[in-house]
Amino acid sequence: MGKTIVEKILAKASGKKEVSPGEYVEVRIKTYIQVSSDGGGTPMPETFVKFGWDKLWDPSKVVIVPDHCGSYTPLSYDATNNNRENHRRNSEWARNMGVPEENILDLGRVGNCHHMGIEEGWALPGSVYVHADTHSMTVGGVGCFGPCVTASMAALLRTGLTWFRVPESIKFNITGKLQDGVMGRDVYEYILGQIGPAGAIYQVMEYTGPVMDEMSMDGRLSMCCLSIFTGAKLGIVNPDQKIIDWFKARTNVPFEPQVSDLDARYIKTYNYDGAKIEPQVVVPPLRHTVQNISAVEGIKVTNAFIGSCASGRDEDMRIAARILKGHKVHPGVMFNITPGSSAAMMRSAQEGVIATLLEAGCFICAPGCGMCPGYYTPLTKNEVCITSSTTNYPGRMGDETAQVYLGSPATVAASALEGKITDPRKYL
Amino acid sequence: MALKFKGKAWIFGDNLDVDKDIIPFRKMNLGLITFDNLGDWCMTNVDPDFPRKVKKGDIMVVGKNMGCGHSHQQANKAIKQCGISCVIAESFDRNFFRNSIDIGLPIIEYTDIRKMVKEGDHLELDLHRGQIKNISTAKTLNFTPLPDFLLDILEAGDVESHVNKLIAEGKV
Repeated sequence: MGKTIVEKILAKASGKKEVSPGEYVEVRIKTYIQVSSDGGGTPMPETFVKFGWDKLWDPSKVVIVPDHCGSYTPLSYDATNNNRENHRRNSEWARNMGVPEENILDLGRVGNCHHMGIEEGWALPGSVYVHADTHSMTVGGVGCFGPCVTASMAALLRTGLTWFRVPESIKFNITGKLQDGVMGRDVYEYILGQIGPAGAIYQVMEYTGPVMDEMSMDGRLSMCCLSIFTGAKLGIVNPDQKIIDWFKARTNVPFEPQVSDLDARYIKTYNYDGAKIEPQVVVPPLRHTVQNISAVEGIKVTNAFIGSCASGRDEDMRIAARILKGHKVHPGVMFNITPGSSAAMMRSAQEGVIATLLEAGCFICAPGCGMCPGYYTPLTKNEVCITSSTTNYPGRMGDETAQVYLGSPATVAASALEGKITDPRKYL
Repeated sequence: MALKFKGKAWIFGDNLDVDKDIIPFRKMNLGLITFDNLGDWCMTNVDPDFPRKVKKGDIMVVGKNMGCGHSHQQANKAIKQCGISCVIAESFDRNFFRNSIDIGLPIIEYTDIRKMVKEGDHLELDLHRGQIKNISTAKTLNFTPLPDFLLDILEAGDVESHVNKLIAEGKV
Protein backbone atom coordinates (compact mmCIF):
# COMPACT_ATOMS: atom_id res chain seq x y z
CA MET A 1 0.00 0.00 0.00
CA GLY A 2 1.39 3.39 -0.99
CA LYS A 3 1.69 6.36 1.33
CA THR A 4 0.75 10.03 1.05
CA ILE A 5 3.32 12.82 1.20
CA VAL A 6 2.25 13.62 4.77
CA GLU A 7 2.51 10.00 5.94
CA LYS A 8 6.00 9.80 4.42
CA ILE A 9 7.15 13.05 6.06
CA LEU A 10 5.81 11.99 9.48
CA ALA A 11 7.33 8.50 9.23
CA LYS A 12 10.73 9.96 8.45
CA ALA A 13 10.49 12.64 11.17
CA SER A 14 9.43 10.15 13.86
CA GLY A 15 12.04 7.56 12.85
CA LYS A 16 9.46 4.95 11.87
CA LYS A 17 9.32 2.77 8.79
CA GLU A 18 5.75 3.86 8.12
CA VAL A 19 2.84 5.56 9.86
CA SER A 20 -0.92 5.39 9.33
CA PRO A 21 -3.80 7.82 9.98
CA GLY A 22 -5.00 7.92 13.59
CA GLU A 23 -1.57 7.01 15.01
CA TYR A 24 0.15 9.45 17.39
CA VAL A 25 3.83 10.14 16.76
CA GLU A 26 6.53 11.98 18.67
CA VAL A 27 8.73 14.20 16.51
CA ARG A 28 11.98 16.02 17.22
CA ILE A 29 11.87 19.31 15.32
CA LYS A 30 15.06 19.89 13.32
CA THR A 31 14.17 22.90 11.16
CA TYR A 32 14.51 26.52 12.29
CA ILE A 33 11.80 27.69 14.68
CA GLN A 34 10.60 31.27 14.61
CA VAL A 35 9.72 33.13 17.78
CA SER A 36 7.76 36.21 16.88
CA SER A 37 5.52 38.73 18.53
CA ASP A 38 2.45 37.08 17.05
CA GLY A 39 -1.01 37.29 18.49
CA GLY A 40 -2.13 33.87 19.61
CA GLY A 41 1.24 32.65 20.80
CA THR A 42 2.68 32.22 24.27
CA PRO A 43 4.96 35.03 25.53
CA MET A 44 8.30 33.21 25.71
CA PRO A 45 10.43 35.27 28.15
CA GLU A 46 7.66 35.33 30.75
CA THR A 47 6.78 31.65 30.30
CA PHE A 48 10.40 30.52 30.64
CA VAL A 49 10.73 32.50 33.88
CA LYS A 50 7.41 31.21 35.20
CA PHE A 51 8.40 27.55 34.73
CA GLY A 52 12.01 28.00 35.80
CA TRP A 53 13.54 27.13 32.42
CA ASP A 54 17.00 28.49 31.66
CA LYS A 55 17.81 26.85 28.34
CA LEU A 56 16.51 26.06 24.88
CA TRP A 57 16.76 22.62 23.28
CA ASP A 58 18.79 24.01 20.37
CA PRO A 59 19.43 27.78 20.42
CA SER A 60 21.18 27.61 17.03
CA LYS A 61 17.86 26.70 15.41
CA VAL A 62 15.79 29.50 16.98
CA VAL A 63 15.17 32.72 15.03
CA ILE A 64 13.57 35.88 16.37
CA VAL A 65 11.32 37.68 13.90
CA PRO A 66 9.33 40.86 14.64
CA ASP A 67 6.39 39.48 12.76
CA HIS A 68 2.72 40.41 13.18
CA CYS A 69 3.21 43.55 15.20
CA GLY A 70 6.86 44.33 14.71
CA SER A 71 6.60 47.27 12.38
CA TYR A 72 3.13 48.49 13.26
CA THR A 73 1.02 50.67 15.46
CA PRO A 74 1.68 50.02 19.11
CA LEU A 75 -0.81 47.81 20.95
CA SER A 76 -0.98 50.65 23.41
CA TYR A 77 1.12 53.72 24.09
CA ASP A 78 2.20 52.22 27.38
CA ALA A 79 6.02 52.15 27.28
CA THR A 80 6.09 48.64 28.75
CA ASN A 81 3.49 47.16 26.46
CA ASN A 82 3.96 47.90 22.79
CA ASN A 83 5.15 45.94 19.79
CA ARG A 84 8.70 47.24 19.69
CA GLU A 85 9.02 46.54 23.40
CA ASN A 86 7.76 42.97 22.85
CA HIS A 87 10.37 42.49 20.14
CA ARG A 88 13.12 43.95 22.32
CA ARG A 89 12.11 41.63 25.17
CA ASN A 90 12.10 38.58 22.86
CA SER A 91 15.51 39.53 21.44
CA GLU A 92 17.08 40.04 24.86
CA TRP A 93 15.65 36.73 26.07
CA ALA A 94 17.02 34.98 22.98
CA ARG A 95 20.54 36.39 23.54
CA ASN A 96 20.44 35.21 27.14
CA MET A 97 19.40 31.75 25.94
CA GLY A 98 22.38 31.55 23.58
CA VAL A 99 20.60 32.23 20.28
CA PRO A 100 23.30 33.41 17.81
CA GLU A 101 23.22 37.11 16.99
CA GLU A 102 22.64 36.42 13.28
CA ASN A 103 19.38 34.65 14.15
CA ILE A 104 17.92 37.75 15.78
CA LEU A 105 16.34 39.65 12.92
CA ASP A 106 14.89 43.12 12.88
CA LEU A 107 12.96 45.29 10.43
CA GLY A 108 14.54 45.63 7.01
CA ARG A 109 15.30 41.92 6.80
CA VAL A 110 11.94 40.44 7.64
CA GLY A 111 8.22 40.40 6.86
CA ASN A 112 5.23 38.24 7.64
CA CYS A 113 6.48 35.12 9.44
CA HIS A 114 5.01 32.65 6.93
CA HIS A 115 6.64 34.41 3.99
CA MET A 116 9.90 34.30 5.96
CA GLY A 117 9.91 30.50 6.19
CA ILE A 118 9.87 30.43 2.39
CA GLU A 119 12.15 33.41 1.69
CA GLU A 120 14.86 32.21 4.07
CA GLY A 121 14.55 28.53 3.14
CA TRP A 122 13.60 27.38 6.66
CA ALA A 123 10.43 25.48 5.68
CA LEU A 124 12.22 22.72 3.79
CA PRO A 125 10.27 20.42 1.44
CA GLY A 126 9.89 17.01 3.08
CA SER A 127 10.42 18.33 6.61
CA VAL A 128 8.27 18.99 9.67
CA TYR A 129 8.25 22.73 10.36
CA VAL A 130 6.20 24.34 13.12
CA HIS A 131 4.99 27.80 14.02
CA ALA A 132 2.77 29.24 16.75
CA ASP A 133 0.53 31.06 14.27
CA THR A 134 -2.56 29.61 12.59
CA HIS A 135 -1.30 30.02 9.04
CA SER A 136 1.84 27.95 9.66
CA MET A 137 0.28 25.59 7.11
CA THR A 138 1.13 28.07 4.32
CA VAL A 139 4.37 26.12 3.83
CA GLY A 140 2.37 23.14 2.55
CA GLY A 141 2.68 24.97 -0.75
CA VAL A 142 6.30 23.78 -0.97
CA GLY A 143 5.60 20.24 0.22
CA CYS A 144 6.52 20.98 3.84
CA PHE A 145 4.44 19.64 6.75
CA GLY A 146 3.75 22.83 8.73
CA PRO A 147 1.11 22.41 11.41
CA CYS A 148 0.40 25.18 13.85
CA VAL A 149 1.42 24.41 17.45
CA THR A 150 0.31 27.59 19.22
CA ALA A 151 0.20 26.63 22.89
CA SER A 152 2.81 23.85 22.55
CA MET A 153 5.54 26.22 21.44
CA ALA A 154 7.18 27.06 24.79
CA ALA A 155 7.42 23.39 25.77
CA LEU A 156 8.71 22.53 22.30
CA LEU A 157 11.45 25.16 22.45
CA ARG A 158 12.53 23.72 25.79
CA THR A 159 12.49 20.03 24.81
CA GLY A 160 12.75 19.99 20.99
CA LEU A 161 9.92 17.47 21.01
CA THR A 162 6.26 17.53 20.12
CA TRP A 163 3.46 15.16 19.11
CA PHE A 164 1.16 14.84 16.12
CA ARG A 165 -1.83 12.69 15.27
CA VAL A 166 -1.26 11.33 11.76
CA PRO A 167 -4.13 12.80 9.74
CA GLU A 168 -6.22 11.26 7.01
CA SER A 169 -5.79 12.85 3.59
CA ILE A 170 -8.35 14.07 1.07
CA LYS A 171 -7.28 14.42 -2.55
CA PHE A 172 -8.44 17.42 -4.55
CA ASN A 173 -7.79 16.80 -8.22
CA ILE A 174 -8.08 20.05 -10.19
CA THR A 175 -8.13 19.32 -13.91
CA GLY A 176 -8.07 21.57 -16.98
CA LYS A 177 -6.62 25.06 -17.01
CA LEU A 178 -7.56 28.18 -15.01
CA GLN A 179 -8.87 31.22 -16.88
CA ASP A 180 -6.60 34.30 -16.88
CA GLY A 181 -7.55 36.32 -13.79
CA VAL A 182 -8.53 33.22 -11.78
CA MET A 183 -5.89 32.56 -9.13
CA GLY A 184 -4.96 29.90 -6.56
CA ARG A 185 -7.01 31.90 -4.09
CA ASP A 186 -10.14 31.40 -6.19
CA VAL A 187 -9.52 27.66 -6.41
CA TYR A 188 -9.36 27.39 -2.61
CA GLU A 189 -12.47 29.51 -1.98
CA TYR A 190 -14.31 27.50 -4.66
CA ILE A 191 -13.44 24.29 -2.80
CA LEU A 192 -14.60 25.88 0.49
CA GLY A 193 -17.90 26.72 -1.21
CA GLN A 194 -18.24 23.08 -2.29
CA ILE A 195 -17.27 21.24 0.92
CA GLY A 196 -18.10 23.84 3.59
CA PRO A 197 -16.27 24.97 6.73
CA ALA A 198 -16.34 21.49 8.27
CA GLY A 199 -15.46 19.72 5.03
CA ALA A 200 -11.98 18.51 6.01
CA ILE A 201 -11.88 18.43 9.81
CA TYR A 202 -8.50 17.27 11.14
CA GLN A 203 -7.64 16.10 7.62
CA VAL A 204 -5.01 17.02 5.07
CA MET A 205 -6.15 18.66 1.85
CA GLU A 206 -3.75 17.44 -0.82
CA TYR A 207 -4.10 19.55 -3.96
CA THR A 208 -3.11 17.80 -7.18
CA GLY A 209 -3.82 17.70 -10.91
CA PRO A 210 -2.87 19.70 -14.00
CA VAL A 211 -3.96 23.04 -12.50
CA MET A 212 -1.68 22.52 -9.49
CA ASP A 213 1.22 21.39 -11.71
CA GLU A 214 1.00 24.61 -13.65
CA MET A 215 0.33 26.86 -10.65
CA SER A 216 3.11 29.12 -9.36
CA MET A 217 4.63 28.58 -5.92
CA ASP A 218 2.88 31.80 -4.83
CA GLY A 219 -0.55 30.44 -5.78
CA ARG A 220 0.12 27.13 -4.02
CA LEU A 221 1.23 28.92 -0.85
CA SER A 222 -1.94 30.99 -0.88
CA MET A 223 -4.18 27.91 -1.16
CA CYS A 224 -2.36 26.09 1.63
CA CYS A 225 -2.40 29.19 3.84
CA LEU A 226 -6.21 29.27 3.72
CA SER A 227 -6.81 25.53 4.23
CA ILE A 228 -7.71 26.10 7.89
CA PHE A 229 -11.07 27.54 6.84
CA THR A 230 -12.31 24.12 5.73
CA GLY A 231 -11.35 22.75 9.15
CA ALA A 232 -8.23 21.06 7.75
CA LYS A 233 -5.09 20.25 9.69
CA LEU A 234 -3.29 21.63 6.68
CA GLY A 235 -3.12 21.81 2.89
CA ILE A 236 -0.19 20.44 0.92
CA VAL A 237 1.09 20.23 -2.66
CA ASN A 238 3.65 17.68 -3.90
CA PRO A 239 6.82 19.66 -4.60
CA ASP A 240 8.22 19.82 -8.15
CA GLN A 241 11.47 21.04 -9.66
CA LYS A 242 10.64 24.75 -9.36
CA ILE A 243 10.18 24.33 -5.60
CA ILE A 244 13.41 22.35 -5.23
CA ASP A 245 15.30 25.00 -7.23
CA TRP A 246 13.90 27.77 -5.02
CA PHE A 247 15.24 26.10 -1.86
CA LYS A 248 18.58 25.09 -3.37
CA ALA A 249 19.15 28.78 -4.12
CA ARG A 250 18.46 29.73 -0.50
CA THR A 251 19.92 27.14 1.84
CA ASN A 252 22.83 24.75 2.21
CA VAL A 253 20.86 22.59 4.62
CA PRO A 254 20.23 19.22 2.94
CA PHE A 255 16.59 18.24 2.45
CA GLU A 256 14.69 15.27 1.05
CA PRO A 257 11.47 16.23 -0.74
CA GLN A 258 8.68 13.66 -0.48
CA VAL A 259 5.79 13.01 -2.87
CA SER A 260 2.69 10.84 -2.56
CA ASP A 261 2.80 7.34 -4.02
CA LEU A 262 0.43 6.72 -6.92
CA ASP A 263 -1.39 4.07 -4.86
CA ALA A 264 -1.55 6.16 -1.66
CA ARG A 265 -4.80 5.88 0.28
CA TYR A 266 -7.17 8.85 0.49
CA ILE A 267 -10.32 9.02 2.56
CA LYS A 268 -12.04 10.87 -0.31
CA THR A 269 -11.23 12.27 -3.73
CA TYR A 270 -12.86 15.34 -5.21
CA ASN A 271 -12.51 16.21 -8.89
CA TYR A 272 -13.05 19.77 -10.11
CA ASP A 273 -12.71 21.29 -13.55
CA GLY A 274 -10.42 24.30 -13.13
CA ALA A 275 -11.66 25.94 -16.34
CA LYS A 276 -15.13 26.33 -14.80
CA ILE A 277 -13.94 28.16 -11.69
CA GLU A 278 -14.94 31.85 -11.70
CA PRO A 279 -13.37 34.51 -9.49
CA GLN A 280 -14.77 33.82 -6.00
CA VAL A 281 -15.82 36.29 -3.31
CA VAL A 282 -16.46 35.50 0.38
CA VAL A 283 -19.28 37.66 1.71
CA PRO A 284 -19.29 38.92 5.34
CA PRO A 285 -19.86 38.22 8.16
CA LEU A 286 -19.29 34.44 7.77
CA ARG A 287 -16.00 33.03 6.47
CA HIS A 288 -17.76 30.39 4.40
CA THR A 289 -20.39 32.27 2.37
CA VAL A 290 -18.67 31.90 -1.00
CA GLN A 291 -20.17 33.31 -4.20
CA ASN A 292 -19.24 33.66 -7.84
CA ILE A 293 -18.17 37.24 -8.45
CA SER A 294 -21.21 37.90 -10.67
CA ALA A 295 -23.44 37.68 -7.55
CA VAL A 296 -21.67 40.55 -5.77
CA GLU A 297 -20.38 42.76 -8.59
CA GLY A 298 -21.15 46.42 -8.06
CA ILE A 299 -20.99 46.49 -4.24
CA LYS A 300 -19.20 49.75 -3.36
CA VAL A 301 -15.89 49.53 -1.50
CA THR A 302 -13.96 52.16 0.44
CA ASN A 303 -10.81 50.13 1.12
CA ALA A 304 -8.79 47.53 -0.70
CA PHE A 305 -5.93 45.49 0.69
CA ILE A 306 -3.42 43.01 -0.73
CA GLY A 307 -1.13 41.45 1.87
CA SER A 308 -0.90 39.08 4.87
CA CYS A 309 0.26 35.45 4.71
CA ALA A 310 -2.53 34.75 2.18
CA SER A 311 -1.14 37.18 -0.41
CA GLY A 312 1.50 39.92 -0.82
CA ARG A 313 3.78 37.66 -2.84
CA ASP A 314 5.45 38.62 -6.16
CA GLU A 315 2.65 37.21 -8.31
CA ASP A 316 -0.03 39.08 -6.32
CA MET A 317 1.66 42.46 -6.71
CA ARG A 318 2.47 41.69 -10.35
CA ILE A 319 -1.15 41.01 -11.29
CA ALA A 320 -2.31 44.14 -9.41
CA ALA A 321 0.21 46.16 -11.43
CA ARG A 322 -0.99 44.53 -14.68
CA ILE A 323 -4.56 45.60 -13.89
CA LEU A 324 -3.69 49.09 -12.63
CA LYS A 325 -1.06 50.05 -15.23
CA GLY A 326 -2.12 53.32 -16.85
CA HIS A 327 -5.08 53.71 -14.49
CA LYS A 328 -5.69 55.34 -11.11
CA VAL A 329 -7.17 53.83 -7.98
CA HIS A 330 -10.78 55.05 -7.60
CA PRO A 331 -10.83 58.36 -5.64
CA GLY A 332 -13.13 56.87 -3.00
CA VAL A 333 -10.76 53.98 -2.24
CA MET A 334 -7.66 53.65 -0.05
CA PHE A 335 -5.67 50.74 -1.56
CA ASN A 336 -3.10 49.35 0.87
CA ILE A 337 -0.58 46.95 -0.64
CA THR A 338 1.72 45.33 1.90
CA PRO A 339 4.52 43.15 0.48
CA GLY A 340 4.87 39.93 2.45
CA SER A 341 8.60 40.38 2.97
CA SER A 342 11.46 42.76 2.32
CA ALA A 343 12.74 40.26 -0.27
CA ALA A 344 9.43 40.22 -2.21
CA MET A 345 9.31 44.01 -2.04
CA MET A 346 12.82 44.29 -3.44
CA ARG A 347 12.11 41.91 -6.33
CA SER A 348 8.90 43.80 -7.11
CA ALA A 349 10.78 47.10 -7.04
CA GLN A 350 13.42 45.71 -9.42
CA GLU A 351 10.68 44.53 -11.81
CA GLY A 352 9.07 47.98 -11.81
CA VAL A 353 5.90 46.61 -10.21
CA ILE A 354 6.14 48.86 -7.15
CA ALA A 355 6.54 51.97 -9.35
CA THR A 356 3.40 51.05 -11.33
CA LEU A 357 1.44 50.58 -8.11
CA LEU A 358 2.66 53.90 -6.70
CA GLU A 359 1.80 55.69 -9.96
CA ALA A 360 -1.72 54.29 -9.72
CA GLY A 361 -2.10 55.76 -6.23
CA CYS A 362 -1.61 52.67 -4.06
CA PHE A 363 -0.36 53.02 -0.51
CA ILE A 364 2.67 50.70 -0.13
CA CYS A 365 3.18 49.62 3.47
CA ALA A 366 6.17 48.19 5.32
CA PRO A 367 6.47 44.40 4.79
CA GLY A 368 4.54 42.34 7.32
CA CYS A 369 0.95 41.36 8.06
CA GLY A 370 -0.51 44.72 7.03
CA MET A 371 -4.20 45.41 7.58
CA CYS A 372 -5.19 41.76 8.05
CA PRO A 373 -5.39 41.89 11.86
CA GLY A 374 -6.25 45.60 11.83
CA TYR A 375 -2.72 47.03 11.91
CA TYR A 376 -1.36 50.18 10.29
CA THR A 377 -4.53 51.38 8.49
CA PRO A 378 -7.39 49.74 10.42
CA LEU A 379 -10.90 49.93 8.97
CA THR A 380 -13.05 52.62 10.56
CA LYS A 381 -16.81 52.81 11.13
CA ASN A 382 -18.96 51.33 8.35
CA GLU A 383 -16.12 51.07 5.84
CA VAL A 384 -16.29 48.32 3.23
CA CYS A 385 -13.11 46.50 2.29
CA ILE A 386 -12.22 44.03 -0.46
CA THR A 387 -9.11 42.07 0.44
CA SER A 388 -7.00 39.05 -0.37
CA SER A 389 -6.02 38.64 3.30
CA THR A 390 -7.12 35.76 5.53
CA THR A 391 -10.54 36.30 7.07
CA ASN A 392 -13.52 38.58 7.52
CA TYR A 393 -15.37 38.36 10.83
CA PRO A 394 -16.52 41.66 12.37
CA GLY A 395 -13.63 43.52 13.98
CA ARG A 396 -10.88 41.49 12.29
CA MET A 397 -9.51 44.45 10.33
CA GLY A 398 -10.59 47.26 12.64
CA ASP A 399 -13.99 48.60 13.63
CA GLU A 400 -16.70 45.99 14.24
CA THR A 401 -19.14 47.82 11.93
CA ALA A 402 -16.77 47.57 8.95
CA GLN A 403 -17.50 44.88 6.34
CA VAL A 404 -14.83 42.68 4.78
CA TYR A 405 -15.23 40.89 1.43
CA LEU A 406 -12.52 38.41 0.45
CA GLY A 407 -11.28 37.81 -3.09
CA SER A 408 -8.13 37.18 -5.10
CA PRO A 409 -5.45 39.88 -5.51
CA ALA A 410 -6.72 40.34 -9.10
CA THR A 411 -10.28 40.91 -7.86
CA VAL A 412 -9.01 43.32 -5.19
CA ALA A 413 -7.06 45.36 -7.76
CA ALA A 414 -9.94 45.56 -10.26
CA SER A 415 -12.33 46.53 -7.46
CA ALA A 416 -9.97 49.24 -6.18
CA LEU A 417 -9.85 50.66 -9.68
CA GLU A 418 -13.64 50.90 -10.07
CA GLY A 419 -14.56 51.59 -6.42
CA LYS A 420 -16.88 48.60 -6.44
CA ILE A 421 -16.50 44.83 -6.55
CA THR A 422 -15.35 44.12 -10.10
CA ASP A 423 -14.55 41.02 -12.16
CA PRO A 424 -10.81 41.27 -12.93
CA ARG A 425 -11.06 39.29 -16.17
CA LYS A 426 -12.09 42.33 -18.16
CA TYR A 427 -8.76 44.03 -17.37
CA LEU A 428 -6.61 41.05 -18.37
CA MET B 1 -6.54 15.57 39.45
CA ALA B 2 -8.65 12.63 38.47
CA LEU B 3 -10.19 14.22 35.37
CA LYS B 4 -13.72 13.68 36.72
CA PHE B 5 -16.20 16.53 36.41
CA LYS B 6 -19.77 17.31 37.41
CA GLY B 7 -21.89 20.15 36.09
CA LYS B 8 -24.81 21.47 34.13
CA ALA B 9 -24.84 21.33 30.33
CA TRP B 10 -24.87 24.41 28.12
CA ILE B 11 -25.73 23.65 24.50
CA PHE B 12 -24.23 25.46 21.48
CA GLY B 13 -24.26 24.94 17.70
CA ASP B 14 -21.84 24.03 14.90
CA ASN B 15 -18.76 25.88 13.59
CA LEU B 16 -18.15 28.11 16.63
CA ASP B 17 -15.36 30.40 15.42
CA VAL B 18 -12.56 31.15 17.86
CA ASP B 19 -12.54 34.92 17.22
CA LYS B 20 -16.12 35.51 16.16
CA ASP B 21 -18.09 33.36 18.61
CA ILE B 22 -15.93 32.07 21.47
CA ILE B 23 -14.27 35.39 22.36
CA PRO B 24 -14.63 38.66 20.41
CA PHE B 25 -11.36 39.24 18.53
CA ARG B 26 -10.99 42.76 19.90
CA LYS B 27 -11.19 41.47 23.51
CA MET B 28 -8.33 38.98 23.14
CA ASN B 29 -5.53 41.40 23.91
CA LEU B 30 -3.49 39.84 21.11
CA GLY B 31 0.23 40.24 21.56
CA LEU B 32 -0.01 41.27 25.21
CA ILE B 33 2.02 39.28 27.67
CA THR B 34 -0.88 38.38 29.93
CA PHE B 35 -3.94 36.23 29.45
CA ASP B 36 -6.04 37.87 32.21
CA ASN B 37 -9.79 38.49 32.28
CA LEU B 38 -10.56 36.52 29.12
CA GLY B 39 -13.35 34.59 30.88
CA ASP B 40 -15.44 37.77 31.13
CA TRP B 41 -15.87 37.63 27.33
CA CYS B 42 -16.46 33.92 26.87
CA MET B 43 -19.23 33.33 24.28
CA THR B 44 -20.57 36.87 24.74
CA ASN B 45 -21.14 37.33 20.99
CA VAL B 46 -23.54 34.35 21.14
CA ASP B 47 -25.02 34.94 24.62
CA PRO B 48 -23.98 38.24 26.27
CA ASP B 49 -24.80 36.94 29.78
CA PHE B 50 -23.01 33.59 29.45
CA PRO B 51 -20.02 34.35 31.73
CA ARG B 52 -22.40 35.46 34.52
CA LYS B 53 -24.74 32.47 34.15
CA VAL B 54 -22.07 29.75 34.16
CA LYS B 55 -21.32 28.01 37.46
CA LYS B 56 -17.89 26.57 38.17
CA GLY B 57 -17.73 23.03 36.80
CA ASP B 58 -20.41 23.46 34.13
CA ILE B 59 -19.95 21.70 30.81
CA MET B 60 -20.21 23.02 27.24
CA VAL B 61 -21.92 20.69 24.79
CA VAL B 62 -21.38 21.81 21.20
CA GLY B 63 -21.79 20.67 17.62
CA LYS B 64 -19.37 20.06 14.80
CA ASN B 65 -16.07 21.80 14.05
CA MET B 66 -15.80 23.35 17.52
CA GLY B 67 -13.24 26.18 17.65
CA CYS B 68 -12.79 26.70 13.93
CA GLY B 69 -10.91 29.65 12.44
CA HIS B 70 -7.68 30.97 13.84
CA SER B 71 -5.52 29.21 16.40
CA HIS B 72 -5.82 31.75 19.21
CA GLN B 73 -5.34 30.01 22.55
CA GLN B 74 -7.12 32.95 24.20
CA ALA B 75 -10.40 31.25 23.21
CA ASN B 76 -9.53 28.05 25.07
CA LYS B 77 -8.36 30.11 28.05
CA ALA B 78 -11.58 32.17 28.02
CA ILE B 79 -13.62 28.95 28.34
CA LYS B 80 -11.41 27.61 31.11
CA GLN B 81 -11.32 30.94 32.99
CA CYS B 82 -15.09 31.37 32.98
CA GLY B 83 -15.45 28.14 34.94
CA ILE B 84 -16.26 25.51 32.30
CA SER B 85 -14.74 22.18 33.38
CA CYS B 86 -14.95 20.34 30.05
CA VAL B 87 -16.07 20.81 26.44
CA ILE B 88 -17.89 17.95 24.70
CA ALA B 89 -18.15 18.42 20.92
CA GLU B 90 -19.34 16.36 18.00
CA SER B 91 -16.00 17.23 16.36
CA PHE B 92 -13.17 19.65 17.03
CA ASP B 93 -11.12 21.95 14.85
CA ARG B 94 -7.61 20.55 15.02
CA ASN B 95 -5.99 23.72 16.39
CA PHE B 96 -8.67 24.09 19.06
CA PHE B 97 -8.16 20.43 20.03
CA ARG B 98 -4.42 20.86 20.38
CA ASN B 99 -4.61 24.17 22.25
CA SER B 100 -7.14 22.67 24.69
CA ILE B 101 -4.74 19.87 25.61
CA ASP B 102 -1.82 22.29 25.93
CA ILE B 103 -3.58 24.81 28.19
CA GLY B 104 -5.33 22.08 30.19
CA LEU B 105 -8.95 22.44 29.09
CA PRO B 106 -10.44 18.92 29.16
CA ILE B 107 -12.28 17.91 25.99
CA ILE B 108 -14.34 14.96 24.80
CA GLU B 109 -15.28 14.13 21.23
CA TYR B 110 -18.66 12.40 20.98
CA THR B 111 -20.65 12.17 17.74
CA ASP B 112 -24.33 13.09 18.20
CA ILE B 113 -23.85 14.34 21.77
CA ARG B 114 -26.60 16.92 21.24
CA LYS B 115 -29.10 14.11 20.69
CA MET B 116 -28.25 12.70 24.11
CA VAL B 117 -28.05 15.89 26.20
CA LYS B 118 -30.44 18.84 26.67
CA GLU B 119 -29.62 22.29 28.03
CA GLY B 120 -29.55 22.15 31.80
CA ASP B 121 -29.02 18.37 32.08
CA HIS B 122 -26.68 17.36 34.91
CA LEU B 123 -23.64 15.48 33.63
CA GLU B 124 -20.87 13.51 35.28
CA LEU B 125 -17.73 12.92 33.22
CA ASP B 126 -14.78 10.60 33.64
CA LEU B 127 -12.08 11.18 31.03
CA HIS B 128 -9.97 8.18 32.08
CA ARG B 129 -12.85 5.69 31.98
CA GLY B 130 -14.34 7.29 28.88
CA GLN B 131 -17.75 7.81 30.41
CA ILE B 132 -20.44 10.51 30.19
CA LYS B 133 -23.28 9.99 32.70
CA ASN B 134 -26.41 12.04 32.05
CA ILE B 135 -27.87 12.14 35.57
CA SER B 136 -31.03 13.90 34.31
CA THR B 137 -31.90 11.09 31.87
CA ALA B 138 -30.14 8.28 33.74
CA LYS B 139 -28.22 7.32 30.60
CA THR B 140 -24.53 6.49 30.34
CA LEU B 141 -22.50 7.08 27.17
CA ASN B 142 -19.09 5.55 26.54
CA PHE B 143 -16.30 7.00 24.46
CA THR B 144 -12.70 6.03 23.68
CA PRO B 145 -10.48 7.91 26.13
CA LEU B 146 -7.68 10.12 24.81
CA PRO B 147 -4.26 8.42 24.73
CA ASP B 148 -2.52 8.39 28.11
CA PHE B 149 0.14 10.92 27.18
CA LEU B 150 -2.55 13.54 26.39
CA LEU B 151 -4.43 12.74 29.60
CA ASP B 152 -1.10 13.22 31.42
CA ILE B 153 -0.84 16.78 30.02
CA LEU B 154 -4.44 17.55 31.09
CA GLU B 155 -3.71 16.15 34.56
CA ALA B 156 -0.58 18.26 34.92
CA GLY B 157 -2.72 21.36 34.24
CA ASP B 158 -0.84 22.54 31.14
CA VAL B 159 1.92 21.40 28.80
CA GLU B 160 4.61 23.43 30.57
CA SER B 161 3.86 21.83 33.95
CA HIS B 162 3.88 18.46 32.20
CA VAL B 163 7.37 19.21 30.80
CA ASN B 164 8.54 20.07 34.32
CA LYS B 165 7.29 16.70 35.51
CA LEU B 166 9.24 14.99 32.71
CA ILE B 167 12.35 17.05 33.56
CA ALA B 168 12.05 16.05 37.24
CA GLU B 169 11.77 12.39 36.18
CA GLY B 170 14.83 12.77 33.93
CA LYS B 171 12.80 11.90 30.83
CA VAL B 172 13.68 14.96 28.74
